[in-house]
Amino acid sequence: METSFAITGKGYVIVAADTTAARSIVKMKTDEDKIKTLSEHLVMAYSGEPGDTLQFAEYVSRNIRLYAIRNLYALRPAAAAAWIRRALATSLRSRKPYSVNLLLGGYDETEHAPKLYWVDYLGTMDEVPFAAHGYGSYFALSLLDRYHDPSASLEEGLATLKRCIDEVSKRLVVSPGTYKVKIVDKDGVREVEL
Amino acid sequence: MARRYDSRTTIFSPEGKLYQVEYAMEAISHAGTVLGLLAKDGVVLAAEKKVTGKLLDLSATKEGGYGGSGEKVFLLSSNVITGLAGWTADANSLVNFARNAAQQHLLAYDEDIPVELLAQRLCDMKQGYTQFGGLRPFGVSLLYAGYDPQYQFQLYRSDPSGNYSGWKATCIGANNGTAQSLLKQEYKDDIEVKDAIGLALRTMSKTMDSTTLGSEKLEFAVLTLDPVTKKPKAKIYRPAEIDALLEKEGLAKKDEDTEMKAA
Amino acid sequence: MNTFVQRFSTTGALSEARKAKALAADDEEFSDAAWGSEAGFGNIANGVPTFAVPAVPDPSAFLRLHTDDHADPSCRIKIQHGTTTLAFRYKGGVIVAVDSRATAGSYIASGTVKKVIEINPYLLGTMAGGAADCQYWETYLGIHCRLHELRNRERISVSAASKYLSNLVYSYKGMGLSMGTMICGWDKTGPAVFYVDSDGTRLKGDLFSVGSGSTHAYGVLDQGYHWDLSDEEAQELGRRSIYAAGHRDAFSGNTCNLYHIKQDGWHFLGNFDISKMHYEGPGDVPGSFGKGYGYDIRVEGRSSANPPPAAPTTTVTA
Repeated sequence: METSFAITGKGYVIVAADTTAARSIVKMKTDEDKIKTLSEHLVMAYSGEPGDTLQFAEYVSRNIRLYAIRNLYALRPAAAAAWIRRALATSLRSRKPYSVNLLLGGYDETEHAPKLYWVDYLGTMDEVPFAAHGYGSYFALSLLDRYHDPSASLEEGLATLKRCIDEVSKRLVVSPGTYKVKIVDKDGVREVEL
Repeated sequence: MARRYDSRTTIFSPEGKLYQVEYAMEAISHAGTVLGLLAKDGVVLAAEKKVTGKLLDLSATKEGGYGGSGEKVFLLSSNVITGLAGWTADANSLVNFARNAAQQHLLAYDEDIPVELLAQRLCDMKQGYTQFGGLRPFGVSLLYAGYDPQYQFQLYRSDPSGNYSGWKATCIGANNGTAQSLLKQEYKDDIEVKDAIGLALRTMSKTMDSTTLGSEKLEFAVLTLDPVTKKPKAKIYRPAEIDALLEKEGLAKKDEDTEMKAA
Repeated sequence: MNTFVQRFSTTGALSEARKAKALAADDEEFSDAAWGSEAGFGNIANGVPTFAVPAVPDPSAFLRLHTDDHADPSCRIKIQHGTTTLAFRYKGGVIVAVDSRATAGSYIASGTVKKVIEINPYLLGTMAGGAADCQYWETYLGIHCRLHELRNRERISVSAASKYLSNLVYSYKGMGLSMGTMICGWDKTGPAVFYVDSDGTRLKGDLFSVGSGSTHAYGVLDQGYHWDLSDEEAQELGRRSIYAAGHRDAFSGNTCNLYHIKQDGWHFLGNFDISKMHYEGPGDVPGSFGKGYGYDIRVEGRSSANPPPAAPTTTVTA
């Protein structure tokens, strides 16, 4: 089942999402990228209702891009998160709401700090040191309560992420096979192989 | 046929001018002077009040509110103050619009509106009135003094055409040419607020028609960062505070031909 | 004041066009013709094409009431559901193979359905789910692909065509559309396959199968698939996979239609009877190994019995 994690550390945030696209019992695709890069220092992992996910992610990414074009600099993570949360909250009260859960990982260049926001389809938002969505969260959150270190180096952070992924693979019946992992820090967004 | 052009919009003259816009700018060049100075650690605004007189009830400006006497200098958002020159009625409408725009940004993004974006919001509307449907342009120029985390302290100026630009020191209203050449001579890039205050007041005293400076003729405001919270803090001076400031800067009654005196 | 603010504060081509139209509309002296082509934005300002929806408060509930054959087997409208379709991309192009059975509940409504929709000479769409939905919207897609060609002097890419369809069905999400389709073709980027369904999902991939028989088809397809398949091998793999689904899935069967898309467009390779393939094989076609696909036929003469070697006959002499 769909699972995503994110962890902050010393000057970075790591966002990971599984790569399967499933329909009923069939995996239709096993290398789908479910983490969208919204700006130079902001990524968004999305999961939820098929169709809604990508439509919403594209709607968001184009609005964030438009803001950057109009104002010559991109929204800071906190402002982007507030806007995205509001988009979901507005959608929830419409005739056909988007059912999409999000993890927003960014690096705030003015504060020189990584930012992570947990957002669900009801428009709940919280800034957190680590986060997870999906069935994986039932295993990962307790693990992260125990092992997360806000001042961890990137290597240590990736090791902690590996712990989460391994634990989910070990205990979750319908665990995903592969994950895509992206890092945001002062240098921007990059993908890493675990 | 004629009705279509007269009633619809401001239209280019055969010489390629938009007369209504130029008339609006002309109106502003007779309005009270407003001067802005960008310093390293803040922004300073000074403005010449035109509506004065013994019978004017200024009791409301003495306490309560956020300072200022409500003619020239206004708080638009917690991070932006403005000084206006021109038609006061138009200006009030623009201030209202700007405050709305700032709050809409706060609502959508949970952050103070960037200063340039607020200037853009107003200019988008001002521009609209130079182009669409038989409407009169706003007879107002504005100075915007503000702070945002991206570009720190900023000073912008906009005019009735909808043009805006960023400045280190600038002036709108009557005698703005004189004031600007004075500022050009005296401005230093690394000026601090405490010196900028003096420069602003001295420049005002030289440009204003009246021989003496006093709180009944002056509005004054400073935007700085709160040393504790690191958030922008706007201070719009009350009449008594302005008088005290002038006293401190030695501008209150220095002139030899002083005729009025505070008791 | 507020109306002025709203009218003038927004920017962008769309709102400009809207504003211009609104301004023109309130002046009877000002003819619509003055706007000519609406500055090239006519088609944008008019928005996404719309399709009539039943005039009831909840169209999807209305549809469910009259079509759900699980809850009410006696309802009048039964929608065709069971199907097996597949498409895959390899070095030689795209193979598209489908079955031809249409079922309505447990009734086989037809055995000769065309489940490949020929959108244009370079694009094929497959049909699973509601037959009418697929047929209507893929034909509609064909119209827009042609309009794209006329407007842009260039064929639409498979990616763009599939995105058009996915945006279109997404706008009807929750209203009862039922489609699972693969948009296949050859464009500037080479062979391409996109999966699009009525949830609004759109996936780019090398290999897809859709329908009730898809799991059976995947079983054969995944094991036989690799990028460097020869044309004969690829065609045989598509045919064999549809046979597998037709054999195992009660809602799929009858015949298999096989298409091959190459750089010069699609080619129809034939209609193969699934029963015949079971007993005799696909006949004299490329890739065929000349025998029936059926298990019993394939393993004829082989046995799992593993008796110990017969003891050498020794004669014991007293």
